[in-house]
Amino acid sequence: MKALRIILILAAVAILALVPWFGSDVLIQFGINALLLAVLAQGWNIIGGYTGYASFGNSVFYGLGSYGVAIAMVQWNLPFYFGLGFGVVLAVVFAILLGIPVLRLRGHYFAIATLALAQVMSAIVSNVALAGRNIGLVLPPLNNDPLFYELSLGLLVVATLTIYWLTRSRFGFGLIAIRENEEGAAVMGVNTTLYKTLAFALSGIFSALAGGIHAYWITFLDPESAFDISLNVKMIIMAVFGGPGTILGPIVGAFSLSAISEVLSSEVTSIAGLFFGVVVVAAVVLMPRGLADMLRRFRKTGWRYFSENIRAHRI
Amino acid sequence: MDLLAQILINGILLGGLYAVMALGLALVWGVLNIVNLAHGAFIMLGAYVSWHLYTYAHIDPFLGLPITAVVMFCVGYALQRGILNLVVRAPMFNTLLITFGLEVVLTYLAQLAFSADFRTINPPYAGHSIFLGPVVVPMVRLMAFGVAIVLTVAMWLFLLHTRLGRAIRATAQNLVAARLYGVEPRHLYAMTFGIGIALAGAAGGLYGTVSQINPYIGATLTAKSFAISIIGGLDNPLGVIVGGLFLGIIESLTALYIGPTFADVASFGVLVLVLIVRPSGLLGKTA
Repeated sequence: MKALRIILILAAVAILALVPWFGSDVLIQFGINALLLAVLAQGWNIIGGYTGYASFGNSVFYGLGSYGVAIAMVQWNLPFYFGLGFGVVLAVVFAILLGIPVLRLRGHYFAIATLALAQVMSAIVSNVALAGRNIGLVLPPLNNDPLFYELSLGLLVVATLTIYWLTRSRFGFGLIAIRENEEGAAVMGVNTTLYKTLAFALSGIFSALAGGIHAYWITFLDPESAFDISLNVKMIIMAVFGGPGTILGPIVGAFSLSAISEVLSSEVTSIAGLFFGVVVVAAVVLMPRGLADMLRRFRKTGWRYFSENIRAHRI
Repeated sequence: MDLLAQILINGILLGGLYAVMALGLALVWGVLNIVNLAHGAFIMLGAYVSWHLYTYAHIDPFLGLPITAVVMFCVGYALQRGILNLVVRAPMFNTLLITFGLEVVLTYLAQLAFSADFRTINPPYAGHSIFLGPVVVPMVRLMAFGVAIVLTVAMWLFLLHTRLGRAIRATAQNLVAARLYGVEPRHLYAMTFGIGIALAGAAGGLYGTVSQINPYIGATLTAKSFAISIIGGLDNPLGVIVGGLFLGIIESLTALYIGPTFADVASFGVLVLVLIVRPSGLLGKTA
């Protein structure tokens, strides 16, 4: 059973890796977007799903990663990979400097503080000369979609392996303990401040790398698009819809929701946004533990699964 | 000196409006323990209701406020009764997420229904001003300020002295005990949420007379309302007046001395700073 599962996953990765050789341009471009969103969902999974800190500000890391690449390539004429590294450094510095105070907050307060940070970043960056102020930066074009596709896929594999490692390492158990009961974790000897900050930084690293790849692919960025708040909506919904705190849930959520929204937005653009909102509302009411949990239990309980979820939380 | 006086007056007038914006959020948060991330979107909807009343039925935006409030109350009551009551006992993250989803739905619905164009509500007296020595007080802003203060004080008296107000306060303190005294929680929660949304709608009507509206103003207004609730505390509706004036003055001063683009940065900076120094709020209850 376990060997079968590993073979299935390897086969799926292999098929995904072969897409650029037989897929159309449209499929490859859709793939890059879906893979990068899956990376963001996995990044959020580390801090939101495993550590239990619902960050509404991971778009900040994405924006910092984008600007890391853009500043390094446009202003300093450095290669792309150096830019990715610079973006990661920015994200880690941000995660530590702001994470230490903000991660002291719990529940609503943490969520709103991160949301507020996400809202001010574009206003701050549009006043920075190095980042091109509010005009933005134009990167040198590189017309190589298969390369961007494979980079995104590689990043998703690394992110997922990291999460797999979390589920069986001392560090990961520490994070889960913080999610379940933070005082309890502290009593058991978990250095909660250190663990939370590391989780925030780790989540930021993957988001920054996704942002960096996206910036070089799109070749243009401005403060509004780099620090787009609606990106938070997407990554959280994808992670929660698929199953927060599971290894493969956010990927399933990201792929399925990207595909549906792609079909919908070919009709009317704003319908896709509306769809995301409706999915969140329905998912919170009917399957608050995500698709993974639903599939597991649906076999036993059938349609009662939904009514039981409602009964558990309604007044 | 004149300039400073003018800026302070602007900040105070803005602050009154901010107070009534935050009032509904603080009420819902305090009683239902739901931080309504869709609050700003309801303000936006209220602004559009007022705009339609003024543009198509020619109802004065200030006289039309009760209609806006009643419409929004019905929306809020139905949403709480139909959807939010189903998740009200779920973990904090779920209620946060569902209101986040509602915000997205409302924003895109507004975009589909009203288009993304900027709108303003311009009554005939929009250009009038009162001159206090060198200081100019725009008529509309002064009226919006007056209505906002009246609404906030009326809310305070309502919570203190009416039967429904007492039931709401009792529920906020202890749901089980309130139930023993005959409070029907499903109805009461829906009433509370409805009143919160009616206040948001009224705030939106006022906002539309002093500022431009479009479907995307919601998220920023939610964060501002949250900041004001945090500064003012949830226990007493009059606290939001303190929080609103504080934020209004800070924003006006920042816009003058640092730059208009930094006004929002300043308000969120204050929010994050307050959260870090006093995570449970400056005058607020402990979480």
